[in-house]
Amino acid sequence: MDFIKSKNLKYEYVKVEDDNKKEIIEALKGVDINIKKGEFVAVLGQNGSGKSTFAKLINGLNTLSGGTLFVKGLDTSEIDNIWEIRKNVGMVFQNPDNQIIATIVEEDVAFGPENIGMPPEEIVENVDKALKAVSMEEFREDAPMYLSGGQKQRVAIAGVLAMKPECIVLDEPTAMLDPKGRQEVLSTITRLNKEEKITIVLITHYMEEAALADRIIVINNGEVAIEGTPKEVFKNVELMKKLHLDVPQVTELSYYINKANKKMPNDVLEIESFVESINKIGLKKGFEYKKVERETEEEKEPILEIKNLSCIYSEGTAFEKVALKDVNLTINKGEFIGLIGHTGSGKSTLIQHLNALIKAEKGNIYFKGVDINSDRKRLKEVREKIGLVFQYPEHQIFEATIYDEVAFGPKNCGVDGEELDRRVKEALSFVGIKEDYYKKSPFELSGGQKRRVAIASILAMKPEILILDEPMAGLDPFGRDEILGNIKRLHKELGMTIILVSHSMEDISSIADKILVMNKGCVEMFDRVEKVFEKEKRLEEIGLSVPQLTKVFSRLDINVSKNIFNVKEGAEILISALEK
Amino acid sequence: MNITIGQYYPTNSNIHKLDARTKILSTFIYILAIFFAKSFISYNLCALFLIFCINISKVPFKMLLGGLKSILIIIIFTVLMNMFLIRSGDVLIKFWIINITSDGVIMTFRLVARLILLVVGTSILTLSTTPIALTEGMEVLLKPYKKIGVPAHEIAMMMSISLRFIPTLIDELDKIKKAQMARGADFDTGNIVAKAKSMVPLLVPLFVSAFRRAEELAMAMEARCYRGDINRTKMKKLEYKKNDFIAYSVIGIVFVLVLILR
Repeated sequence: MDFIKSKNLKYEYVKVEDDNKKEIIEALKGVDINIKKGEFVAVLGQNGSGKSTFAKLINGLNTLSGGTLFVKGLDTSEIDNIWEIRKNVGMVFQNPDNQIIATIVEEDVAFGPENIGMPPEEIVENVDKALKAVSMEEFREDAPMYLSGGQKQRVAIAGVLAMKPECIVLDEPTAMLDPKGRQEVLSTITRLNKEEKITIVLITHYMEEAALADRIIVINNGEVAIEGTPKEVFKNVELMKKLHLDVPQVTELSYYINKANKKMPNDVLEIESFVESINKIGLKKGFEYKKVERETEEEKEPILEIKNLSCIYSEGTAFEKVALKDVNLTINKGEFIGLIGHTGSGKSTLIQHLNALIKAEKGNIYFKGVDINSDRKRLKEVREKIGLVFQYPEHQIFEATIYDEVAFGPKNCGVDGEELDRRVKEALSFVGIKEDYYKKSPFELSGGQKRRVAIASILAMKPEILILDEPMAGLDPFGRDEILGNIKRLHKELGMTIILVSHSMEDISSIADKILVMNKGCVEMFDRVEKVFEKEKRLEEIGLSVPQLTKVFSRLDINVSKNIFNVKEGAEILISALEK
Repeated sequence: MNITIGQYYPTNSNIHKLDARTKILSTFIYILAIFFAKSFISYNLCALFLIFCINISKVPFKMLLGGLKSILIIIIFTVLMNMFLIRSGDVLIKFWIINITSDGVIMTFRLVARLILLVVGTSILTLSTTPIALTEGMEVLLKPYKKIGVPAHEIAMMMSISLRFIPTLIDELDKIKKAQMARGADFDTGNIVAKAKSMVPLLVPLFVSAFRRAEELAMAMEARCYRGDINRTKMKKLEYKKNDFIAYSVIGIVFVLVLILR
């Protein structure tokens, strides 16, 4: 039986422009989607594709404008059915903080059952079960504010489970989480689907999450673009790329190899089966490939030196926490450094030290040989030269126009007149914001555009070092690639020294020269990318991984240098290594 | 990060363990008693009762004085107004235009005692009860007044959501402040006008974020079938225990005695 059944489903809304022009936006242009009971369906699509609209329609948070949508045989356009539908279809949202209502975990889980008028004894029983199902029973008396992002999302799932729904719709539940939290949430979802037979609709733009599903539905521009099992969907590599979506690196590899060598299947999803298929075809004995590194032997000039830096929060109290332990680093001018590490590894503390937002109490930080904390009156200068873009920088936007927003930083540093104008325009054109936008309110922009304006506001201060804390977090692949492209150009064209904090080894490996791995407040590794990837075992021990491409090469019996990070390049090497 | 809201001071005493409703109603009766009290002896009775409660609650006296500090100005003002403006009774001191009379002194004493008893008494309530328990207690106590239009459930819901989000917003404010500092903003120097202006880059993003959170929260609540106080149950029902009845008896006796001895 189809649990969710839609026919020619349409949703449109009226958008009012600032000059009072009304525009009808068609978010869904007539989609037919059927989801069976007990199925695990992933819905992929860019921001604005209509995938979130679909989720809200299922739960009755939006009302359809055309076609039909039945949930458990109930018509969602019938207002009387809404509560029955919401009882059966639980919904989990993106931001873990904004869906927890109570100040104690168990009270929050009880919120849904209380709303539907469940008897108290039954509530207690269901709350117990729900907390157990998400492995959060030991936190039942805790305050949600002390939980990690992944734990909060599990509480949110428990809150839905306690209402005994038959289906859970999750709208990008992992977009704001770190890899560990993401893993927690995903394993919870898959377990609920397998063991409790709960129908799952997972809306996401992470392809590795979609790959876990029974079926993937790709929505683009309000229409279903592709539909099928993960294998069937991901083998459409070109089409997926055109829709600005990712495919797993191994699938992409197998697709390219298949073009040259038909013995290779074009729809491989896992590394193990990929390696197996390659070995079946056979590799040339003693195949070797060495990519010569364009190691620039020019004089390296240190720009930032960190010496014996330690940091302990709330020293001497019960809350004492060592955030940094004897960190020593030298960063050279023009280097591109990828900084990676788990939440709590000390990376946020480190970058806040670097532009003196946190004063170095133990140890010193030298910018071009001068201690940045030596003169507290010159802090502004330090912050001007060492720019720091915070996570979700669009959350600091406050000015009435985009132009003023970007001018805020340089103005604070005493820049004015023509110089200010020049800098603002330069920074904005660098991130691709056109002149006719300058007088618009930054709040009208899309998420990705807002973020680029926020980055421009730091660029306009003309920093020599730019530190970015997860600038791609929460963006869809298209927004991510745009920002990554901007950062790449900053490094190449302006020769800026860049420190990029990211959770994604794939992203970092494609652009960084060096990787800095932080673990428990210490520098775990700091070396060239390929050198770091040689220590795959150690990386996995501390919960990090290397890109799939690197894994593939290390599992195959050929001698290829470790500095191959581009999938097409990797595919070409493999094609020439395969037996004909 | 550790933020405490309200002044809850956990000691797990018998007062702490009382039902929030008992504490709220007792405090209310106690306040009434103070206003009925006129004689020296009834004041003393209230004071004794207060000391008795402080003793059981195990809350350090220093914490209770903290509450007095905030009303120090009011106390000083009351003292001055009453001392100098009341002209009836025997003149005790006469100096230039200042007349201090016996009635003035007695009145001042009475008012100050009343204020101190009031503030310290209510402090015990807030020190021994978590904000969330207070909210729940209020909701149940206000329920009968729903018929005359007191939105008991809505008030309690608003309170508990505030309690849930204040720490989140404080956290957020800290982040925004740091981010604006990274953009060269200066919050520490300059005159009052400059300082007030420097708040704009903090407050605008904070409000924007608060509204965004409110919108998302409302949607999440609706998705979980929230529709106000219609057909709603509670996981935990408040239940009176033995100690609550003892507490009601004690406060009842004190109140009757004050009425007799007033």
